[in-house]
Amino acid sequence: MAGSIAMHEVENPTGWWNGWRTLFIGCAALLACNLFLWIWDYRFAFSVGLDSSTHAFTTHYRALFWGELISLGAFTGIWYGWLVRTGRALEGQPISPSEEVRRIAVLWGIIGATSLSLYIEASFWPNWDGAWHQTMVRDTALTPTHIPMFYFFFPLSIILALGAYLYGQYRIPAVYAWKKGFPWSFFLLISAAVLEFVQVAFNEWGHSLWLSEEFFSVPFHWPFVTYGWLASGMFAVWGETIIRLLAIEKEARTVEIHTQTAAAGGA
Amino acid sequence: MAAAATTGMTAAERQKRLELTELLNAKYQWIDRTWDVVFWITAIFIVGGAADITKLLFAGDWDFWTDWKDPQWWPVVTAFATIIIPSALQWIQWVAWRFPTGATYTCTCLFLASWIGRFFQWHIAETYPLNFIWPISTVPAAIILDWILMKTRSFVVTSVVGGVVWAVLVWAFNYIPLAPYLQPAVFMHHILTVSDVQGIAYIRSQTPEYMRHIERGALRSFLGETQYVSLVFGGSLAILGYWIGQLIGRYLAVWPIGKYIKTY
Repeated sequence: MAGSIAMHEVENPTGWWNGWRTLFIGCAALLACNLFLWIWDYRFAFSVGLDSSTHAFTTHYRALFWGELISLGAFTGIWYGWLVRTGRALEGQPISPSEEVRRIAVLWGIIGATSLSLYIEASFWPNWDGAWHQTMVRDTALTPTHIPMFYFFFPLSIILALGAYLYGQYRIPAVYAWKKGFPWSFFLLISAAVLEFVQVAFNEWGHSLWLSEEFFSVPFHWPFVTYGWLASGMFAVWGETIIRLLAIEKEARTVEIHTQTAAAGGA
Repeated sequence: MAAAATTGMTAAERQKRLELTELLNAKYQWIDRTWDVVFWITAIFIVGGAADITKLLFAGDWDFWTDWKDPQWWPVVTAFATIIIPSALQWIQWVAWRFPTGATYTCTCLFLASWIGRFFQWHIAETYPLNFIWPISTVPAAIILDWILMKTRSFVVTSVVGGVVWAVLVWAFNYIPLAPYLQPAVFMHHILTVSDVQGIAYIRSQTPEYMRHIERGALRSFLGETQYVSLVFGGSLAILGYWIGQLIGRYLAVWPIGKYIKTY
């Protein structure tokens, strides 16, 4: 059954609502989450987010913090479980060229969503975080700007990057089969997101010593920059899948030439 | 003309060019323009994010406020921080497509990311006026940096010449919007600049008073020559920043393509 599905020729694998659907759904979901969190902060940051000792802070922000972690945990479990369970069923099955092209488009969709998530955590929220900490007194690590940034979009980027690799490992074996080794591209991309999370701990430890932000470009903020650099591994993911696309096209052309030659010989 | 252009090539280079031409002219079944559209648009996010986090954390304060755009530190830290990712993209786009557009593409992404952050987070959410917190633009300097690469076809020359030019142009192009805020204003019986008055009027409670930049002529600032000394030093640091960007482009973005950490 799985074999027949894998060999199924996909009509128009790069149609906007076919192979690229993952990109649109993924980005729409991310933007919806981001809009919700921004409106939440806009509504409550100044009214209940200034004093972490109040009951209102607990109901509005600690609840949000735990809600984020539980949502991310549930999403990860369901998504990774689906990727691995269905991926194992596909292992060793032949893949038609058009289906492989569609899968590469889906991988690009997940990578595109990862790119958006990295932008939101690296630019969108740090802007508010900078503005917030240079004007408000910090009395907790769970500040209104940290909760969406550090505890939602930071782990989400790790989840998306690792999920993209799991997708590729099972569904695009010509590039990402486990026996080929772990790709440097994903190693850099995933380590970028993981190192960022490590830096959160270092940052909060630093702020436990120097509560005042004083200025934003302080040396113990600098390591955050390295993740933006390591995320360049994303370009390598794009590069190696483009090479695979060219190989698929070449293989398909060779098969077509052989078929035409055989048909001409038979005639 | 084409023949003349190929005369100086080695056999290997000619073979490579033939292969590339074949790739370009081939009729593809599944490779279409949607891949280009998806790539260029989704790359905007990671490029804009990487460029903005680099600027925010290496030179953020000097970019956040008009009163921090001083003649002593602003030209130095900004030139260094803003050239890193454009340099990486110059390498990527030049190697992949021979496009001399990497810096311009990056700085356009950075411009969008900076303005979205500054407008929604600093202005709407924190209510600072935009004329106090506007971000700089590096797009004009990036066009010149790309032009230098296109004309010289050398990353070494682009780094040395382009780095210095970058520092000067980033300052010069952004001095135009900054100039109105450097006009003198009398405030509480003292002559300050308009930007100083902004810095006093809009409270930054976590930035202590001793951190606030106040424009003044002093022996420490070489009696007004600081600006030019800073630009030269900023140019030197921009050359360093350019090569950090090259390392990112060459070894983190391009080198890993098709390479694996083997498991035994």
